Amino acid sequence: MIVAEWKPIPELLASLKGHKNILLVGCATCVAECAAGGEREVLTLAPVLKMGLKEQGQDVNIITKTLERQCEPEFVEELAEIAPQVDAIMSLSCGIGMQLVAERFIDLPLYPGVNTTSLAIREQPGLWTARCAACGDCMLGETFGLCPVARCAKSLMNGPCGGTRKDGKCEVDPDTECIWRLIVERAEARGRLEDLAKVRPAKDWSNSGHGGPKRMLREDLRS
Amino acid sequence: MAAAKPDPNFQPEIVVLYCRQALDAEERPPEGARQALGLGVRLVLLPCSSKVEAYQMLKIVEQGADGVLLLACPEKACRFLTGSLKAERRVQRARQLLGLVNMGPERVALRRVSGLSLKDILALAGQMASEVKALGPNPMKGDNLQ
Amino acid sequence: MKPRVGTQLEKVLLAGHFALTLEIGPPQSPNPEPLRKKAALLKGLGDGYNVTDNQTAVVRMSSIAASKIILDMGCEPVMQMVCRDRNRIAMQSDLLGASALGLRNVLALSGDHQKASAAGKLKGHPGAKNVYDIDSMQLIATIKGLRDEARQLGGDAIAEPAPFFIGAAWTPLGTPRNYRVLRLAKKIAAGADFVQTQAVYDVPAFAAQVAKARDMGLTDKAAILAGIIVPRSAGMLSYMDRQVPGVEVPAELIARMKQAKDTQAEGIKVTLELIQAVKEIPGVKGVHLQAIEAEELLPEIVAAAGLSPRPQV
Ligand code: SF4
Ligand code: SF4
Repeated sequence: MIVAEWKPIPELLASLKGHKNILLVGCATCVAECAAGGEREVLTLAPVLKMGLKEQGQDVNIITKTLERQCEPEFVEELAEIAPQVDAIMSLSCGIGMQLVAERFIDLPLYPGVNTTSLAIREQPGLWTARCAACGDCMLGETFGLCPVARCAKSLMNGPCGGTRKDGKCEVDPDTECIWRLIVERAEARGRLEDLAKVRPAKDWSNSGHGGPKRMLREDLRS
Repeated sequence: MAAAKPDPNFQPEIVVLYCRQALDAEERPPEGARQALGLGVRLVLLPCSSKVEAYQMLKIVEQGADGVLLLACPEKACRFLTGSLKAERRVQRARQLLGLVNMGPERVALRRVSGLSLKDILALAGQMASEVKALGPNPMKGDNLQ
Repeated sequence: MKPRVGTQLEKVLLAGHFALTLEIGPPQSPNPEPLRKKAALLKGLGDGYNVTDNQTAVVRMSSIAASKIILDMGCEPVMQMVCRDRNRIAMQSDLLGASALGLRNVLALSGDHQKASAAGKLKGHPGAKNVYDIDSMQLIATIKGLRDEARQLGGDAIAEPAPFFIGAAWTPLGTPRNYRVLRLAKKIAAGADFVQTQAVYDVPAFAAQVAKARDMGLTDKAAILAGIIVPRSAGMLSYMDRQVPGVEVPAELIARMKQAKDTQAEGIKVTLELIQAVKEIPGVKGVHLQAIEAEELLPEIVAAAGLSPRPQV
């Protein structure tokens, strides 16, 4: 799923300065799964913002709404009725949904309520960890199903750096596994350590954002 | 906001959310799920303390209550096993968020209790009232409060 | 065999002498004087001098500039280059520039993550965007391409080859240990001519890893220089044992430093023993010696180890 997290409350309050009627819009898909922008979070943040702004002397009215999917135009359309009543929108969806809302309601300022951080998995209750960085050149087949692009702090392609901690964690964070240690262990378990012995050449990053904004075209699906 | 002068007559309004299971078996809950009990105390009966979410407690404060007291069973005695633990986490979350907007985390609290009588509830509400009194009236108080 | 590049370090190794490299860290300053002072202190002592590249992700004078400054003073630099801060375009451009300045030894490294800086006393730049376009393995291969094929990574030719004596780092006792020899093999296959290791204190464990490398024929293909860091105190050793990845310090060694009356003298003694011990491991061709924040001890240590004067080749 796409993972996002609330921006710091002071940043949110500062961005809403001067607004009176605010639409706080969530999304019931990825950001709900990662507890950042689903209905529950929308309902939690609304009173918090209201109290925070009041404390700074600003009275606001907050309308809440959670869309099924904020990245689909037909769902975004549901906001058309509310939009005329507000002077700002704060969205708790990922950056994709936010942009669709911004595009549909071009006259209204749109403020991000969350920072979109990663493509991740809910590893444990309350813990999400990155899995993919949308690199555009998937190498999972060579790394025993574990992604070094997203999960190695240095996106190394050819094995662990010298920084792997003694307990197998990454040098950058004592709570994060060194993914290369795990890749090596999986290779060993399958008796295929030799697979990790060949030098993997430099990666072609051009099919990710590094090649310019991605545009994927499928002629057979065009109308 | 300038700190309000303490008003000696200020009587905090406390909303008590209490778990059905924490009530003494002999005690009949007041008719209806919501009921006012004495001055400035409102009761809300819950089938389990985990039935209340952080956003609901925040909403009650946003609507002007001076304090929200959640009465939950002891951790090991929860009839639904992890209900009162969940409740505790949610109270923590609500308190954290209240702190971030300078509303006073103390406005939301959890107490673990069992075999409660209505009298006990009143007493606990009274305690809560004296704890939040120092914060002064909830600045959100206004036309929201029914 | 004729030297490929002709650096002093390469020639010393080729002639079969036990090589010695030292380290000169560039200053956090635009002023070359501190660098020159260190170089003057260590001049003539080693065959090569590693010049670090923004080590621990702390901004310092560039490795290229600092390398050139010490080269002009007669200290042959081993220019370090990390993959953290530059993409393949910038790195190759800098390599051509370094070559034009007469820098011939390069050590290719992944580099410390930018968060590492925040772990120390300095602020560093933990908010920096890192690059890691290519990794150290691919950097080694890239440098080899510039040298052996006069070809850039992308395939375009360069007008003439850029001669580099290519170095790599090795953490023989790193986790997962079983893979570490394979990773060395990869670096050598990619093009490493010499290898400097993480600090060695546990000689038998190190020797066992070198033996594996030897069995794979790796020690004939590249020269391994064992890393030795002069112990300053028992506290430092036990810190390294606990906290520094890939460093194992035997408990007896820590105890010995603790009991020593004169820690400095004991540290020097231990260093000399370590140098002697790694020298006896078949396949080890030299040492990379560091005295962190105590460079002034090096002349005495090098002399006592019988590594002075350096061979003229
Ligand atoms: S290799 Fe690339 S596409 Fe595959 S999981 Fe990793 S980041 Fe995603
Ligand atoms: S410790 Fe492992 S995961 Fe962390 S940067 Fe090094 S190789 Fe990557």
